[in-house]
Amino acid sequence: MIGILDYVWLVPLAPVLCFVIAGFFGKKTPQGGGYIAIAGALIAFIIAALASYDYFTSDYYANNIAYTVEMEWMAVGEFSINFGVYIDTLSCIMMLFASFISTLIFIYSIGYMDDQGVKKTRYYAEVSLFLTGMLGLAVSSNYLEMFVFWEVMGLCSYLLIGFWSFTHPEGDEAAFRASSAAKKAFLVTRLGDVCLMAGLFVLLHLFGSLDYADIFNFDIATVDSNMLMVAILLMFAGVVGKSAQFPLHDWLPDAMAGPTTVSALIHAATMVKAGIYLVARSYPIFIHCTDAMIIVAVIGGVTAIYTASMALNNMNIKRVLAYSTLSQLGYMVLALGAGAYLMSLGIEEGEPELMLLGGAGYAAGIFHMINHAFFKALLFLCSGSVIHAVGTEDMRMMGGLRTKMPITAYTMLIGSLSIAGIPILSGFWSKDLVLEAAFAPFHHGLGAGSIFMVLFILGMITAFMTAFYMFRMWFMTFCGEPRGHCHGESPKPMTVPLCILAVFAVISGLFVVFDGSYYILESLRTTIDTVIPFHTGMEIVEEIFTAIPTYVALVLAVVGIGIAWKLYVKTPYDAEAFKPENHGALYNFNAKRHYFPELYNWISWKFGAGVAKGVNALDVHVVDGTVNGLSNAVVGGGEGLSAVQTGYVRDYAGLVAVGVISILAVFCLIFLYGGGF
Amino acid sequence: MDIPILSLLVIIPLIGALATLFMGGQRAEKAKYVAVAFSAIVLALALYVTFVGYNNMADLADLKESYVWFKAAGLQMNIIFAIDGLSILMVLLTAILVFLVVIFSWHEEDKPNYYHALLLAMEVGLMGVYMAQDFFLFYIMWEVTLIPMYFMISWYGGPRRHYSAIKFFIYTHVASVIMLIGIFAVVFQTQIGAEYISFAFEAVRNGATLAPAFQTFFFGLLFFGFAVKMPVPPFHTWLPDAHVEAPTGGSVLLAGVMLKMGSYGIIRVCLDSAIFPDAMAFWQPIMIGLGIFAMVYGAYACIAQNDLKKMVAYSSISHMGMVLVGMGCNSVIGIEFAIFQMFAHGIISGVLFMVCGIAGHNFGTRDMRLLGGLAGKFPVYALFMMFGFMASLGLPGLMGFIAEFGLLFGLWEYLVSQGLEVLIVFGLLDMMLTAGYYLWAMQKTLFGKLTDKIDLTHCHDIAKNEVAVLAVLCALIALFGIWPTLALDFVMPFAGAF
Repeated sequence: MIGILDYVWLVPLAPVLCFVIAGFFGKKTPQGGGYIAIAGALIAFIIAALASYDYFTSDYYANNIAYTVEMEWMAVGEFSINFGVYIDTLSCIMMLFASFISTLIFIYSIGYMDDQGVKKTRYYAEVSLFLTGMLGLAVSSNYLEMFVFWEVMGLCSYLLIGFWSFTHPEGDEAAFRASSAAKKAFLVTRLGDVCLMAGLFVLLHLFGSLDYADIFNFDIATVDSNMLMVAILLMFAGVVGKSAQFPLHDWLPDAMAGPTTVSALIHAATMVKAGIYLVARSYPIFIHCTDAMIIVAVIGGVTAIYTASMALNNMNIKRVLAYSTLSQLGYMVLALGAGAYLMSLGIEEGEPELMLLGGAGYAAGIFHMINHAFFKALLFLCSGSVIHAVGTEDMRMMGGLRTKMPITAYTMLIGSLSIAGIPILSGFWSKDLVLEAAFAPFHHGLGAGSIFMVLFILGMITAFMTAFYMFRMWFMTFCGEPRGHCHGESPKPMTVPLCILAVFAVISGLFVVFDGSYYILESLRTTIDTVIPFHTGMEIVEEIFTAIPTYVALVLAVVGIGIAWKLYVKTPYDAEAFKPENHGALYNFNAKRHYFPELYNWISWKFGAGVAKGVNALDVHVVDGTVNGLSNAVVGGGEGLSAVQTGYVRDYAGLVAVGVISILAVFCLIFLYGGGF
Repeated sequence: MDIPILSLLVIIPLIGALATLFMGGQRAEKAKYVAVAFSAIVLALALYVTFVGYNNMADLADLKESYVWFKAAGLQMNIIFAIDGLSILMVLLTAILVFLVVIFSWHEEDKPNYYHALLLAMEVGLMGVYMAQDFFLFYIMWEVTLIPMYFMISWYGGPRRHYSAIKFFIYTHVASVIMLIGIFAVVFQTQIGAEYISFAFEAVRNGATLAPAFQTFFFGLLFFGFAVKMPVPPFHTWLPDAHVEAPTGGSVLLAGVMLKMGSYGIIRVCLDSAIFPDAMAFWQPIMIGLGIFAMVYGAYACIAQNDLKKMVAYSSISHMGMVLVGMGCNSVIGIEFAIFQMFAHGIISGVLFMVCGIAGHNFGTRDMRLLGGLAGKFPVYALFMMFGFMASLGLPGLMGFIAEFGLLFGLWEYLVSQGLEVLIVFGLLDMMLTAGYYLWAMQKTLFGKLTDKIDLTHCHDIAKNEVAVLAVLCALIALFGIWPTLALDFVMPFAGAF
């Protein structure tokens, strides 16, 4: 104990102060407030690190208790809503990787956003607020407080995706697209958010509190299980929106309209990770609803493969990465859903084996989130470096960049290998654990085993697709003949963060070897009464290397890379092969994102603008028409109200007289018949 | 000697109104200094009252002032002013908004003396309504607000101002006459056998018990009178017309504080369980139903609008529908957040109407089809518009969210008690639609290509006085959003009784 834990609220406070400082005074500082933002993120990281260390060495950790400090925020009738901090292992993990990666991204931004002039101030203020949202979410002590930060992130993503929604460097058309993308991101995630809010109503109704500590200690057997299921599904709808799961996934590819650093921030450190965090945080209640957990796992598995398929023939380097994020998020949700399913049965049947597997699924989801944060930040920043150098996002205009920008090329190779699941890089470990978790229900012959078997197979196919599209991207960008212009390697502020992230993309997976699952499971031990067995790091390593699926997945990944190599390196580049009209319906259907944008538009027309037109017509013609018609009849035909416009003073006097007379009449009537009722 | 602070809250703006009214000719230019001085004094008094309440709500009751006004022919009318948890936020809101509107209208050049006289006259009526504890006084003050607003619209309004002003007047006047019938019926019926028929709230509350059928019927008349003011569809069509034509200052007060008279009246009179203990059995589902309808209907109407100000006007209908839902719940949570929403909407709609007004007088049009890409050229304007819209759509951290969360949770609790949980979908739909129309409006006006349909070459960004006013309002929105207890502490003692 060094006493920093009591100051953990400074973690979200540091960046929000930088938001204010950079927003008001950033213009007067070098880099338009860039250094202020970096300082904020770095301070947040340092405090987070010290506080985490403090927590791990404290009695709280030793006794499996979360550190909680709260004060009343507001009274809602007889309910009390608090504001405070809740620190357990999960919070520590979230704080640490979010602030660390954000620091690197902000440093990178110094190089990447250098030419943005006065707009930089806005950028650095908004990213600081974005980081505040994530860190606030991580330390929140109750669901409503979490929701506040959850929405702050929604606002920041709106502002940053729409960073170029006016005065876009590429012209007005691009500015319009950016503003549409921002609007879409906000509205689609809002659909999830309103469901989440309804979920909070149900929670508050059931538990009488929104505090994590109160809800997790509640005797859940006493609450209405149907209502609980509704709450869980509504909360999961929030996750589907925020973490862009099927069918609300389509905002994320559009969100590429913002600066690449923003994409890195959204995909690696903040925003989409919030949904995963919510599932993990809510585990103590989620595990009381077996059926809902099957739905969670199915959504995750479907998202993983469905969005991976859209990356297969995309030409835009950032969009490929966006789809890969969606797909990896699907993995995380799949692992968490499978883990919760296993654990729910484990608690029901008192079976330690199932608890162990469930815990492994939970750990796999969190672990994949951490690893993904590193390699996805790396990949996005690499793609930013490429875009910075070539001035386009279209991979058909790239090629042969390996020699011109070697640092970017090889760090990106590390990221691609990692996400493809090549041992011993980080992606390999966590992806394997995810697939193992999906496989477990079938392996143990549980009720929904066959569903999970299908999900497991989908996960395997996704692994193959991932390796293929990632290397398709890498080969198209860095191999073959140059097809466009290139400025050469990016400046130091950009390449140094790449190298640091590359190191982490290699080693972060080794966390598991050093009993990572044990530490991750700590946050469940603080909230779930049942004993959760776990495997030591070495046991997990042994398991991974003795299980057949590991090798199947590995072979699939290698085959995927091989096919990509055959198609995009061995075969000489042929511009004709990339034209949509030379391909069949399926290729174009895929390239058109399965018409999801059109579906969204159709829905928003059907339930929004279309109805609005009808309502407005009703309002003008029927409601207002009746009133005007009535007044015409009363005033005595003619133009009615509009006739009053002429000589209005006289009419006004008349109206007042009518009013006074009517008042007097009423007066007399009631006076006369006063007691008559 | 005790200073009659509450009477001063009415008398000072009255003196100010008279003073500015007679500053014709050369001195008309100076009227704004008089207006700002008087409204500042009122604001200071209101803040003083607020601090008294903040220290101890019980001390507020000591400020009550009671005078007999008319006592003859078996009738007793009183001048009773008092402030409780329901009215304190409304009094504060009125004082803040009138003061800020005076500053916002600093450059009004068309008969500025009358303009400021009307503003202060409205303040007289509003303060009176929010503090009156006597039905007759309440009604008089209610009518007092009406007349300055009528002249505000018909003198300073847009091209269709006469039509809108008359429509506003007839609508609200008919409603208030019907309300008056209700008032008389209730007063006379409860005072049977009394030597003097007293109009004081207290006397009515302590009077004879009303028969349930009587309650139901006259609750309805009073409710109708108040509901038109809120306004509740289908009696709302005067509002968009009035807003479109009214000058910015008038709109701010109309939406910010005048609409609240309706919901204030409902809470003060209709929901008073000493007067109407049984009426809610009949009216509760109707109020909830109308409230939900107003929320969704208003939001849909917003989407279809092209005029920025008309959209904001319809959004008021939608947000006041939410207040009606809260009142309909008739529970601690419902009343608590209905009052909070009245306060929140008052401040937020101030920002919204000012932003719309600035579009009108800076860019020459409020038509979203003609505007576009303003954010690049007018960043400060864009910032305030975005802040106001985000606050109105219920972004957490700002005060609109607190109200929305509380009211929808209150609705949820009511629906659970009725076994109608599924109807919460309409609340969620409203939240979606609200986000939809605001985001769409921002995209159309602020983003994309800078419009070439209107000439913006000589347009400047917001003036300094406007920035100051908007900054104060935005700061309040953030303050109460982050620290809602600051306002809820006033409300809780009152709402706790429900």
